[in-house]
Amino acid sequence: MRYNVLCIGVGGEGVLTAATMIARAANYDGYYVRGVQLHGLAQRGGSIPTFVRFGDKGELSSPGIMQGDANLVLAFEPLEAVRATYYARKEKTIFVINDFPHMPVYANLLNLPYPKIDEIKKRVKPFAKQLFVFDAHSIAKERFGEVVLGNTIVLGFASRFMPIKRKSWVKAIKASSPRMIKENLEAFRIGENM
Amino acid sequence: MDVLEKAGRKVVLLGNEAIARGAIESGVGVFAAYPGTPSSEVPITLSRIAKKVGIKFEYSSNEKVAFETAAGAAWSGVRAMTAMKHFGLNVASDSVLPVAYVGVKAGLVIMVADDPQGWSSAQSEQDTRYYARMARMPMLEPSNPQEALDFTKIAFEISEAFEIPVFLRTTTKVSHSIGTVRLGKIEKPKTRGRFVKDLGRYYNIRPNLQEMHKRIDKKLMKIEKRYGRRLTKVLKGKGRVGIITNGVSFEYVKEIVHELKINPHIMKLGMTHPLPKKEIESFIRDKKVVLIVEELEPIIENFVVRVAKDVNPKLVIHGKDVLPRYGEYNVEVLMPAFGKVFGKKVPDFRKHRKDVEKVLRGLAPRKPVMCPGCPHRSTFYAVKKVFGDKAIYAGDIGCYVLGIFEPFEMQDFVISMGASLGISHGIKKVSNQEVVAFVGDSTFFHAGMPGIANLRFNDGNAPLVIVMDNGITAMTGHQPHPGSGFTGMGEPVTPIKIEEVAKALGAEVRVANAFNQKDLIERLKELKERKGLRVLVSRGECRLLTKRKLRAKDVRFVTFEIDQEKCMKCSECTDHFSCPAIMEVREKPNEEAKYVIDPDLCWGCSVCMQICPYNAIRPRRKK
Ligand code: SF4
Ligand code: SF4
Repeated sequence: MRYNVLCIGVGGEGVLTAATMIARAANYDGYYVRGVQLHGLAQRGGSIPTFVRFGDKGELSSPGIMQGDANLVLAFEPLEAVRATYYARKEKTIFVINDFPHMPVYANLLNLPYPKIDEIKKRVKPFAKQLFVFDAHSIAKERFGEVVLGNTIVLGFASRFMPIKRKSWVKAIKASSPRMIKENLEAFRIGENM
Repeated sequence: MDVLEKAGRKVVLLGNEAIARGAIESGVGVFAAYPGTPSSEVPITLSRIAKKVGIKFEYSSNEKVAFETAAGAAWSGVRAMTAMKHFGLNVASDSVLPVAYVGVKAGLVIMVADDPQGWSSAQSEQDTRYYARMARMPMLEPSNPQEALDFTKIAFEISEAFEIPVFLRTTTKVSHSIGTVRLGKIEKPKTRGRFVKDLGRYYNIRPNLQEMHKRIDKKLMKIEKRYGRRLTKVLKGKGRVGIITNGVSFEYVKEIVHELKINPHIMKLGMTHPLPKKEIESFIRDKKVVLIVEELEPIIENFVVRVAKDVNPKLVIHGKDVLPRYGEYNVEVLMPAFGKVFGKKVPDFRKHRKDVEKVLRGLAPRKPVMCPGCPHRSTFYAVKKVFGDKAIYAGDIGCYVLGIFEPFEMQDFVISMGASLGISHGIKKVSNQEVVAFVGDSTFFHAGMPGIANLRFNDGNAPLVIVMDNGITAMTGHQPHPGSGFTGMGEPVTPIKIEEVAKALGAEVRVANAFNQKDLIERLKELKERKGLRVLVSRGECRLLTKRKLRAKDVRFVTFEIDQEKCMKCSECTDHFSCPAIMEVREKPNEEAKYVIDPDLCWGCSVCMQICPYNAIRPRRKK
């Protein structure tokens, strides 16, 4: 068995934190874990794909996900979901998209308008077995006054697709969020119940 | 923290964290480094745990100094280590090569991270394995985080047993990959030592030189014998085709073999200098074909070609004939070569790639940008106001390299740490063009000071130097430098003031507040009028750092907003200033745009308010 998750979003630590939670949870469940977390220049507002892979040791060794081989794409930003299509395919990939657009600076400068969410869905569909779109950041902002917790809501929602025990999720969230543990657990639950 | 978990536990670590763990499991006493991605998380991790574990940690002013610090400690009997990116080794090499000759007492390990594909570097795709050959030092190459930990310990063992410094080389996808790691025991560090005088031991002056050189030969031969086998992994397969590989490529090879359901013999080399000749000989002796899978230069390949002449002259050797010499490998890059060599049908990745290109069409790229509220953006904006598009803008290494992109395009060349100064000097020597040289604060201490001294020494016709002083080494994750006011252990220290150094070097100096356009422009105009060596220190704290500090205190920025009544839609704030928090929104493609500031992205620097020609931007009013 092997399970490939691609977390993609814009800059900052949010994506890394989500990926770390998945990696820890998988580890607590006893899986062998591999993945990639790029740091550095890529973090300055660029698009950063982060990979988490887990399963039986004999079946995974590469840190990266091969073309079309993702089981799950967590797109924390809609436009980035389109960029994730490289790693996705119709027969296999579930997309969870957080509808909270982050306009690339170059949309202004190069006069390339930001597509509407329906347009994004249309582009992603040929690569998706299933596609879920919701605005987790607005939910988080309303509920906690903190948009970053939207990432944990996305993760909570997506946890139903990953073969990881709930106990391990809880442990991983506690280990990965030095601040706001209670809020993170609550956000995870909101996602689970959606 | 996972890196401090108990022995026997299984945790998921980043390759670089695993190296840090390996260092403390080896009882490292002194660690010194200048930050450089992709190696940065080794020192970042150690700086966080240094006090707890009891090691002496420092951020040094550059890689050469860091290496020398480690060497001095190792000569005094304390295990020491340094970590750097590949270009860092270019800086340190001047001391590394002679230390390899004279050797060490306690273990000395140099971790060096290459960056094929240039994820976090913009200089070259340098293959550092050549340094091991040039310096005649052993080099170990882990493939994954578990090996990163284990090999760090073995590196110390070899270093100490043979009194020779040892390279631990990674690439981005080893340093920045995560993996399950089983932890060993943390060793209590020894941090006190003593330098024992021993005339003749620590220099290479003739007649010592040849003796020292000869001795290295012997050491390397012994190391090959003792560790060649131990650090080589052979996976037995079927048939007469073999694969020889190293580093992260091994991880790809295993996965491809699994995907294609083939079963070749695989040899993975954990030590790439000295290469284990005997092991390689016996691996290739009965093979018909071998495929060498190594990123960048054909170093293993050339060795195998040489060895094969004696033991198996008919051997067909594939390597760079079927695989690229540039860029990073991954499963997709390698598959076609496997198809050729194994006569297997492999997936065609091109069709999928074309389909993806189609859906990406017309989408704005997301290149890295300076953060909202970045002091560099404000400085670039002011400099452009005063010097226009014609001036030559000399670039350097740091976050300000992002000034290469639109709308500024104010880094006409970017070469290496501190190179903005030397190269502008060369240009000014032969031309009367206006030249503005940018250099960062950390870069100033790293390699900028000699450049400035030279400008003063050799040229009246100097460029204007702008030190972009954000108080910290920002790009690599906020490490302190001699101007920051605290050390790598978090201890306060009197900061060195860049303006004082520049003055002492004979420059005419001004200091401006990077968040104050009026101040910047006035100082720039003053300096523009003058001749000779002029330095402007544009000072403003890295906004990302400010943000983190405020966040820790649960304080929020005062954010800004655009008064829609006053906004004349001139697009100055988006087209010429381009803070990522300011958006141009249109409901429909051809509609007139509306300019708004996203309150979640605004980091409250107030500079957009200063540059808006119609005074339409103001602090956000409470609703
Ligand atoms: S990290 Fe600091 S210096 Fe770098 S772009 Fe962001 S604000 Fe500017
Ligand atoms: S105040 Fe203006 S320039 Fe500064 S971060 Fe906010 S929107 Fe950007």
